[in-house]
Amino acid sequence: MKRRTFLTAAGAGVTAALAGCLSQSNNDDSLVVATYGAFLDAPSVSPGEFVKQEFESEFDTTLVWQSPPEEANHYIQREQEGVGIDADVYLGLSTGELVRIDDELDTSLFATAPDVEGTDSLREGLAFDPEGRAVPFNTGYISLVYDSTVVEAPETFDGLLDPAYEGQLLAQNPGTSSTGRAFMLHTINEFGTDGEYTYLDFWSDLQDNGVTILGSWGDAYAAFDDAGEAPMVVSFSTDQVFADADGADLAEHQVRFLNDQAYANPEGMAMFEDADEELAQQFMEFILRPEIQGEIAQQNVVFPATDNAELPPDYSDLAQEPPEPVTFSYEELRGSVETWIDDWEREIAG
Amino acid sequence: MTDTPDGDPATGRDQQRTGDARGLVDRVERRGLSVLAVVTAAVLLVMFYYPVGTVLVEAVFVDGAATVRPFLDILRDPFYLGDLAALFDGRPPADVVSDALSGGPDFGLVGFTVYQALLSTVASVALGVPLAYVLARYEFPGRQTLRSLTILPFVLPSIMVATGFRAAFGADSPLNGVLGLVGLGPVDLLFTLEAVVIAHAFYNAPLVARVTVAAWESVDASAVETARSLGASPLRAFRDIVAPQLYPSVLMGAALTFVFTFGSFPIVLALGDAELITVEVRVFRLAESLDYAEAAALAIVELLISLGVLYGYLRYEARQSARAREIRPLPRRRFVPDSLSVRTLLPRAGLVVYAVVALVVFVLPIASMVQASFTDAGGLTLDNYRFLLERQAEAAAFQVQPWPAVRNSLFFGVASLLVALPMGVTVAVLTTRGYRGRKLVDAVAMAPLAVSGIVVGIGILQGLVFGVEIGPTRLVVGGAVAVVAAHAVAAYPFVVRTVAPGLERIDGTLVESARALGASRMRALVDIELPLIWPGVVAGAAFALAISMGEFSSTVVLATGTDWYTMPVAIERFIGRRLGPATAMGVVLLVVTSASFLVIDRLGGEYRDGL
Repeated sequence: MKRRTFLTAAGAGVTAALAGCLSQSNNDDSLVVATYGAFLDAPSVSPGEFVKQEFESEFDTTLVWQSPPEEANHYIQREQEGVGIDADVYLGLSTGELVRIDDELDTSLFATAPDVEGTDSLREGLAFDPEGRAVPFNTGYISLVYDSTVVEAPETFDGLLDPAYEGQLLAQNPGTSSTGRAFMLHTINEFGTDGEYTYLDFWSDLQDNGVTILGSWGDAYAAFDDAGEAPMVVSFSTDQVFADADGADLAEHQVRFLNDQAYANPEGMAMFEDADEELAQQFMEFILRPEIQGEIAQQNVVFPATDNAELPPDYSDLAQEPPEPVTFSYEELRGSVETWIDDWEREIAG
Repeated sequence: MTDTPDGDPATGRDQQRTGDARGLVDRVERRGLSVLAVVTAAVLLVMFYYPVGTVLVEAVFVDGAATVRPFLDILRDPFYLGDLAALFDGRPPADVVSDALSGGPDFGLVGFTVYQALLSTVASVALGVPLAYVLARYEFPGRQTLRSLTILPFVLPSIMVATGFRAAFGADSPLNGVLGLVGLGPVDLLFTLEAVVIAHAFYNAPLVARVTVAAWESVDASAVETARSLGASPLRAFRDIVAPQLYPSVLMGAALTFVFTFGSFPIVLALGDAELITVEVRVFRLAESLDYAEAAALAIVELLISLGVLYGYLRYEARQSARAREIRPLPRRRFVPDSLSVRTLLPRAGLVVYAVVALVVFVLPIASMVQASFTDAGGLTLDNYRFLLERQAEAAAFQVQPWPAVRNSLFFGVASLLVALPMGVTVAVLTTRGYRGRKLVDAVAMAPLAVSGIVVGIGILQGLVFGVEIGPTRLVVGGAVAVVAAHAVAAYPFVVRTVAPGLERIDGTLVESARALGASRMRALVDIELPLIWPGVVAGAAFALAISMGEFSSTVVLATGTDWYTMPVAIERFIGRRLGPATAMGVVLLVVTSASFLVIDRLGGEYRDGL
């Protein structure tokens, strides 16, 4: 074989192999739904397989999941780089992500939601998109979880500053963790960003009282649960659902709503600009159905977005909702949240 | 293959043209090094410089216009540079110095990152060199195995190390149990700078040890014997003969440790409080917010510091002029001494003390990881391993399964080893030739070690997964070949660093004689140089395998949505509210990589014996 021929052949092989495209082509009869990884593949339970089977059994279509590790950022970057988007629906959009999308993009990533049946059953205060693109489909609450065999958690934010709670709280960095961000936003709701005593003053006092701030929820929770480094952690109000499933002592997994509040993180679904609108509408309506809402809530261990979801009557025994949910609207976060986090990092971290 | 299909070599015309009739093999062999160099450069360009470039360029092009604004913003920001920021704001240096001295100096985020990296480097060298001494100079049962497993910590995902450290060094740790028994403690190192530094030493002391062992085993016994026979004391012989041959390796280990810990990210987040964040944590956070201009500018500052340190080391390495020929390694002493005297007992007593420290720093965290995989809320359990089996049997098509992860990791490990070894040797040969600026080339070739992992991940996404538009088509890079190439790019600098110091020291006349006798450059390399520096080659191979087995950030970007996920990706997927399933998968990784290291060293040893 001539060397040149050989090299050309080998070169072509490498190019072909390198050019193996990652994205799945969007056939007419399939619906591509993008979501975060834990919706599809969590070690405990995750609703992905249930949703796919139920949807496919009823609608004559294939549901293809996509879960890029960068989550919503992946699609922002695709749009920025002018690479086509091959998904129809994004499931699991947070208020903060929607703000980031609109901050970063001049073009529109999502279309206005179609007329979705079931939206009149949505619970109050969950809709977070003033432009009507994102339809909420579930919500979680960020609260304190504590080990009552060690300590009885305080009832208020100010109580956390009591010397009795010195070194007893594990929190997360709002720059790197979504629970950390929710808790910081809750403190902003409580103390505000200007005035005599701001959220930064509160955090500074928390630090003086020995709060430990780790990078992610997982790190903080493991320090609470596995290592017993501190008896209180910023976590989810559904903690007892997992604790019960693991056979743990529920006394070690108590939930505390500071000031009778918890920060709500509603999650929405939105339709990409070039989506198959009819299929997307069918999917969104399907997700809002009472029986599907109930099942997603249980398998995602969150709360449904509708008031007619079919849940076992004892669901609320373990999954606790605060008397007063607190959350910032899209308008309040837009243009502010990055500054709030940056100020926090400069004041508290580093 | 002298009888090629086109029959060229048989024709007289061809003989006339080439002057001899050795045919294709020889021609390829003669050009082998050039071909390898071109291929290496191409792989680096496609898989590293281009994708990373697409991200870093965002620091100097904002909204389509060239600017230095992002750099100035960083340099003038006390958050990043502390008191030094005033310098870039135009204040006179004298004022800045007096201000800094009056209020206790503060060097900001960058300063702290440098500081913790220096501490981590000192700790890694302090723990790594004694380990190298034991492995190189003593004979004891299990020495070979221990030597092969030295770099095991290097592949462990941060989640495993964090789990091990929480269990090993927390308030409820067995360590405190033991300390309590002897009336000491309790110590709670968690979430302090000490914990971060020890975790960094856990990762990097083995690196220092592995490269130093290779150097120690290349020390010629006859030189030491000569010195001794001329009346030098053992200490003197060590100082004058042995130590100078170790410095380059120890310093290399130190330089690499500095670079890695300077860019540390998940360990700092998991084991340190928020006050201990590093530059790389900030890069991560800026990238998450898609603030690419500031993220890229900061990553460039980070890169310049890291490359500066590497370049400093490389200049030093080049000045080392010791010459190596065929050597007879120093004989190993039996750990249990033949006679009892102060001279035989003192070093061994020191080693026993070291062994206790090593047990606490290396063995205890690994044992704690293994223990965590057999524990849940109710105590001892096999549930975490049952989870792996259930996943294997019942996972949905889009979920991660354990066995394919193991299989893929092994495949990528071997494949990227086979790519990284020739790449690394080629670059080592090219950067140990004498020409001006070669150490600059070397430093640039080391960039994969020094560039922010966050930036590499974004670059691979934007530059390769999204691809480039060439005419009417969009060329994208993905799939298994891309993963192998990405791993090889991450791994080859280790091959360069373990092979180059040996090549640098080889007596040039050996190669010249071979060339004069008609051997091609390639043949001289394979037949003469590589056998002489074989321990370095095997060490490089082990590192390459370790890097591939542990790689996460590029793999997850390239493999998501495909069936090409690896063990670290599976571990990440299995992280939940409880860490049991993830640690069980981590133990699988531990076992698979341990076995691989043993095989590599065994094969490497056999190959050498067969030479």
